[in-house]
Amino acid sequence: MAEVQVLNVAVLDNPSPFGNPFQFEVTFECMEDLPEDLEWKIIYVGSAESEEYDQTLDSVLVGPIPAGRHMFVFQADAPNTGLIPESDAVGVTVVLITCTYRGQEFIRIGYYVNNEYTDTELRENPPLKPDYGQLQRNILASNPRVTRFHINWEGCAEKMEDSENVDPAPNAMLSPSCTPGKAPPLGLVPDNSMNCL
Amino acid sequence: MAPVLREEDEKNENIPKLLCQMDNHLACVNCVRWSNNGLYLASGGDDKLVMVWKRAAFIGPSTMFGSSSKLANVEQWRCVMILRNHTGDVMDVAWSPHDVWLASCSVDNTIVIWNARKFPEIVMTLKGHTGLVKGLTWDPVGKYIASQADDHSLKVWRTMDWQMETNITKPFSECGGTTHVLRLSWSPDGQYLVSAHAMNNSGPTAQIIERDGWKTNMDFVGHRKAVTVVKFNPKIFKKKQKNGSTPKPSCPYCCCAVGSKDRSLSVWLTSLKRPLVVIHDLFDKSIMDITWTLNGLGLLVCSMDGTVAFLDFSQDELGDPLNEEEKNAIHQNIYGKSLAITMESHLSSTIIENPEMLKYQQERQGNQNPNGAQGSSHENQTAKLTNVLNGESLEDIRKNLLKKQVETRTADGRRRITPLCIAQLDTGDFSPALFNSVPILPGSSTSTQLTPQISSDSSTANSLGLRPSHDPTTTSPNKTAEENKDSGPAAVNSIGMKSNLLLTSASKIEPMKALDSRFTERSKATPGVTSVPLTIGITPLDRVKDSSSVKEPKGKDETSSDSEDKGMVKSLSMAKRKGEMEGAEVVEKRKKGRPRKDAKMMMPISQPFPQTPVSAEKEPSRLTTPVAVLKLPTPSIQKSFSTQVSTDAITYLEVENEVSVVSGARLSQLKWSREGREWDMLLTSRIIIATGSSDVVAVACEDRTLSVFTTCGRRLIPSIILSAPMSALHCSGHFVMALMASATLSVWDVQKQTALVKNESLNPILSGTDATVSQSFLTQQGVPVVSLSNGKTYCFNSSLETWNLIADKQDSLVQCADFRNCLTSQDALGSMGPLALTQSRNLSAGRLASRFSSTPHHLQQGMTLAFLENQLSSALILLSASEYRHWLLIYARFLVNEGYEQRLRELCQDLLGPVHKSSSSSWEPTVLGLRKRDLLTEVMPVIGQNLRFQRLFTEYQDQLELLRLK
Repeated sequence: MAEVQVLNVAVLDNPSPFGNPFQFEVTFECMEDLPEDLEWKIIYVGSAESEEYDQTLDSVLVGPIPAGRHMFVFQADAPNTGLIPESDAVGVTVVLITCTYRGQEFIRIGYYVNNEYTDTELRENPPLKPDYGQLQRNILASNPRVTRFHINWEGCAEKMEDSENVDPAPNAMLSPSCTPGKAPPLGLVPDNSMNCL
Repeated sequence: MAPVLREEDEKNENIPKLLCQMDNHLACVNCVRWSNNGLYLASGGDDKLVMVWKRAAFIGPSTMFGSSSKLANVEQWRCVMILRNHTGDVMDVAWSPHDVWLASCSVDNTIVIWNARKFPEIVMTLKGHTGLVKGLTWDPVGKYIASQADDHSLKVWRTMDWQMETNITKPFSECGGTTHVLRLSWSPDGQYLVSAHAMNNSGPTAQIIERDGWKTNMDFVGHRKAVTVVKFNPKIFKKKQKNGSTPKPSCPYCCCAVGSKDRSLSVWLTSLKRPLVVIHDLFDKSIMDITWTLNGLGLLVCSMDGTVAFLDFSQDELGDPLNEEEKNAIHQNIYGKSLAITMESHLSSTIIENPEMLKYQQERQGNQNPNGAQGSSHENQTAKLTNVLNGESLEDIRKNLLKKQVETRTADGRRRITPLCIAQLDTGDFSPALFNSVPILPGSSTSTQLTPQISSDSSTANSLGLRPSHDPTTTSPNKTAEENKDSGPAAVNSIGMKSNLLLTSASKIEPMKALDSRFTERSKATPGVTSVPLTIGITPLDRVKDSSSVKEPKGKDETSSDSEDKGMVKSLSMAKRKGEMEGAEVVEKRKKGRPRKDAKMMMPISQPFPQTPVSAEKEPSRLTTPVAVLKLPTPSIQKSFSTQVSTDAITYLEVENEVSVVSGARLSQLKWSREGREWDMLLTSRIIIATGSSDVVAVACEDRTLSVFTTCGRRLIPSIILSAPMSALHCSGHFVMALMASATLSVWDVQKQTALVKNESLNPILSGTDATVSQSFLTQQGVPVVSLSNGKTYCFNSSLETWNLIADKQDSLVQCADFRNCLTSQDALGSMGPLALTQSRNLSAGRLASRFSSTPHHLQQGMTLAFLENQLSSALILLSASEYRHWLLIYARFLVNEGYEQRLRELCQDLLGPVHKSSSSSWEPTVLGLRKRDLLTEVMPVIGQNLRFQRLFTEYQDQLELLRLK
């Protein structure tokens, strides 16, 4: 079991203009004193089609962390619009918050983000070149998608023995019974429940 | 239970249905069990963990972050203990009567008995099954525990000495196929044990095993497929007295529910020859678990299809349940003592034969008790919770958190935030004011624009665990205990609930799929990613399905009517990008993986001993050994190099060759520095290797000379002329070790000016192999150690004048030895030394023992024994006292655990030596500078732990005492 449990992430300043910084208030609980810092990252997915357009908005170290419950606000600047493909600027994308300990990612929190023009006129006839000044960013805060990873908290560089016993679970986020391609596979199942056998 | 029992309660929105959802397990949960007192819940899952949960009072409703359900948890259950020991999926857990022990069984073929009064202490690991252990049940009197496994056997173990009482295989010999679980059950009167999945005349049965002689003459027949679960009603019944009829004395009987893979359930009374009731096709899939309510009239059954069924019986159907007193009376009749009495003097019925042992046992308990007391007082303290918020409300804090939080820059310019500690916790009860006033719900604001697309799923609630017969209207914490008692040790296998979601807005989803994969894939940017997503546990079957489904064409998506197909297609939506991703990753892994591995092979194991960077591995091409003449590579001469020697006080050696030319002679300079002090030395020949220890510095030159200096730079001995060029040179303490290119080895003690090893050839260890020397070093005691590229490590013993094998990576003993349960937490730290150094990687491999879980126990036992004895003798030959002691204690613990009396006796005898002095005795009172009798004193408590050895314990304890008095 993980030493660090994320209890809550509150999305602050949402919805907000596209250029506003992202603000996440993270509450987490730590079972034991952590000798090293946690590294948090906000990654903005520029385009669904390729990871090329991912932007790491910022990364911070969080520490020192004694056992207990803690919170902090992670603020990061809005994505660099120059790196976002124009065709993907408007519409649904994803922002990810990841946390790593000793270089190992143990939690990934994803939110859908909808970028839309507030102006009805613009919404119906979107300009070819996105007008970022008019865009509003709306993070679907009510529906975080949390994926947890098993990592070695003890911190020796050696690979965890049991990790190799576990196959990656690409379908982790899908409900066992939902038909792919039809249902929006969002938040159906808490990530660690499953359909055995 | 109200909403389950009454429809109007179910519809009443004010009555919460899902009380708490615990997300902490990292993989599929296979089993949940309430403790008998109802205070704790134990869960075991595919993540190899057993978790013990306790109701946390004073926390208001909150949700599990990231779960889909919007419902707040009505009750807060916190994981108070994580029990780690199993190396495979935990299949079943069981609380012993009176919650003295908790047993868990796993696909690692073992059963672990935990001390439920002192978690996470392990009382015993029961080994003997050769297949996946899939069910456990305690004898209601607490004398036995029974387990059933895939190896076609049912084993009964005594709780007195944790040895096997009986092994029943006959009814299972015909069993083909496997079931997911094999939950067997013991009748409440203790007379019968009923197994899952047995066969009789090629028909599936539940075998009845009589306690008396473990006879297997009867069975429950009728299921069409394998029996997965058997569960006895906790009550003993007697015939319902009909009004008017004369009360006939009737025999009390038990009631048993049997669930099967054929999706049907049967309920039997031991007084009837035929089942009381059979319900066919209750579920769509196999039955996974069954539990009775404590009053004996309710039955909950859960199935692999994700549904739970509740069956309500009347007393007319089952009979009159006996009360606890009557039940105890029955136990007393049969077993002499009532259950309560037996359990009070719980742990063992072995008579302690002498006062010494009793004293020791009492001391042990005494030692435990203060610990326990301390622990609880500590708990109280932490439970009180230090509020660091200085009276501010959480809301205020949250408003200003961004401004208030301390943000600094690290040396490399990165942002570092010091998080605000809002609660210190261990056992974690929170200040009620804090969290009741501001229940933190995920998402402080909700979006409206996206919901038409995405919210269709939010209707599906998921349940991880379910506590039956809990009255949901009461949430007062102090009532919980009672409530839980009512509900009994209920168990529901948690399966993702059948989601009955409406599939809507299919058209808009396509682009989302690509995004979805992003939630689960780990960022590649993360360095050193070693493990893989664990978000769901996967059974082997699933894996097969997943991999096959990825390859399937997308056209198959529509066929989801059959529930079995659901598993097949569930991963498809993610397949596209994920598939590409995986392909890419594989390629990348290959690119990176190979060279690194090779490099690792070449690199010496990192070691605290001085070693020059210019040693054998520098030029791997030259490492090949000629067949006829053994020749070791020599390092090439460098213009200048520096090396760090001695780790305690940081010491550097810098070498600069041909610094100056004085009258035709080329001089080389050696510079030594330690914490500000430094000296330098000029040599006439170019320096090949320089090395040093805390006491001496040794330098090998091109002209085949070896010079040794003190740490002040004074020359200790005139240049030694070597027979061949130097290949590797090491210093440790006063010892200097030289490995020549002619594959000969010398070790000198420069203080005493003696040769410990004189031009000893490496022929014996190198000939016949094409291995090369991959590493060499010298221990603090002056024992030379040479590792070869074939994974074997040798040391040269100067008294025997032999090469001794001390480590072998291919050694199957190392791979299979399993002594983990003999390790204590201190042991893990205490094994630093030359032996650990040479074996560092092998030992982690030794921990893979469970992989070879099919190995029969006796074989593994033998291998472990052999391995431990090897370790002991290796530590001895390496003159590594601390490691000798370390392995000796592990060895003793292993002997005690596995019951090797002869060896234990021999060990004790050697450590004790002759009690009466005699001149003829060749007994050495010390080993490696450790007094043997002191070692024996350390071993004694280990022996005292097993009552079987109490006589041995007494015998040696007495003699030690006698010697002390002398």
